[in-house]
Amino acid sequence: MASTSDNSVVGMPQLDFSTFPNQIFWLVVFCVVLFAIVKFFIIPRMEDIFVNRRKIIDGNIAKAEEIRLRVSEIEKLIEEELEKAKSQCDEIMNTSGKNIKEQMALALEDSKIATTQLINEAEGRLKELRDGSEAAIEKISEELASEIISKISRGK
Amino acid sequence: MEKQSAFNIHPMDQFIIDPILTGENLEWYSFTNQALWMLISLVSISFVFIYGSRKHQLVPGRLQSIAELLYFFIRDMIIDIVGQEGLRYFPYIFTLFILILFGNVLGLLPYSFTYTSHIAVTGFLALSVFIAVTIIGFVKNGFGFLSLFWISSAPLALRPILLIIEVISYFVRPVSHSIRLAGNMMAGHAVIKVFAGFAGALGIGAIAPIFAITAVYGLEMLVVVIQAYVFTILTCVYLNDALHPGH
Repeated sequence: MASTSDNSVVGMPQLDFSTFPNQIFWLVVFCVVLFAIVKFFIIPRMEDIFVNRRKIIDGNIAKAEEIRLRVSEIEKLIEEELEKAKSQCDEIMNTSGKNIKEQMALALEDSKIATTQLINEAEGRLKELRDGSEAAIEKISEELASEIISKISRGK
Repeated sequence: MEKQSAFNIHPMDQFIIDPILTGENLEWYSFTNQALWMLISLVSISFVFIYGSRKHQLVPGRLQSIAELLYFFIRDMIIDIVGQEGLRYFPYIFTLFILILFGNVLGLLPYSFTYTSHIAVTGFLALSVFIAVTIIGFVKNGFGFLSLFWISSAPLALRPILLIIEVISYFVRPVSHSIRLAGNMMAGHAVIKVFAGFAGALGIGAIAPIFAITAVYGLEMLVVVIQAYVFTILTCVYLNDALHPGH
C-alpha cells in the first residue's frame, strides 16, 4: 500500500490513505478557485456572448418580419390597383360597346331612310316616264292616223 | 496488482502522490504533483474560457467555439434532464464537468498526472454530489423526497422489496459514481504504461507495442471525454431525482 524505498509502489497508490488529507485539501482549494472562476468570469462572459448573439438574431428576425409585413402590404396595394384597373377597363369596354351599338343602329336607321327615299324617287320618276310615254304614243298614233287618212284621200 | 517483472514495468508509479516542493514528507498542505496538475488544469481552463473568448466575438473563433460548445452542451443537458429550474445549479455542475474533463484530458499528456484517477478525488466529488443532492431533495420536498424509494407505479406487494433495492442503490450511487471515473482513468493509463514498458524492453520489436499504445491512446481520448460526460450526466440525473422524486 505504501511507497517502497526505491520509489516504486506495490499495489495502488490510490489506496494509500495517508495521502488522502493532502489530496482532499488541494481538491477543495482547486474546486473553490475553479468555482469562483466559473461563477465570476466564465458564466458572465458566456451569457454576455449568448445574449448579444440572441439580441442580434432577434433583431434580424424582427426586421425580416417587418419587411415581410411591408411586402404583403405592397402586394395588397398592387392587387387593389389591379382590381381597380380591371373594373375601369370593364366599364370602358361596356360603354364603348354600347356607344358603338347605338351609333350603328343610328347609321342603319339613316341608311334605311335614305334608301326608301331613293326608292320612292325612282318609282316616281318611273311613273312619270311611263305616263309621259303613253301620252306621246297617243299623240304620235293620232298624227299617224291623220296622216294616213290624208294620204289615202289624196291618192284617190 | 504487482508488476515486478523482468521488464521492470511500474505501471502504477505514475499515480504516486509526490510532494514536489517540500521533499520527502507528505503533509496535508504539501504542494504535490497532483496539486501542480490541478493548477495546470486551472490555467488551461482560464486560457480556453477567459483568454479564448476575450473578444466576445459574435462569430466565435476556435478557442471561443470550444468554450461555447462545452458551456452550452452542459447548459442544454441540464435543461433536458432537470428542466429550467435546474439552471440554478448550473455553475456547480459546470464546474464539476470542466474539472473532470480537463483533469482527464490533461492526464493524457505524457509525464502528466491524472488527478481524476485518484479515488480520493473522485470519491470526494461523488460524495459532495451525493450529500448535496440528498440535502436538496429534503429541502425541496420535505419527507416527500422519500417517495423516491416508494415506487407508487409498482404493484403494492412488490413495493417493500423495491424499497430495499432502491435504498441500497441510492446509497451505492457515490461508490459507483466515483469508482467508475477513477477506475477508467487508472486502467487506461496503466495499460498505456504497460505497453510502454514492453516497448522499452523489446528494442526493434517495439513497433507492435507502440502501435498498441497508439490504438489505446485513441480509445483513451474517447474514454476521457465520455467519462467526464457520464459523471456530469449522472449528477444531473441525481439532481433530477432530488427535484422531482415522484417517478
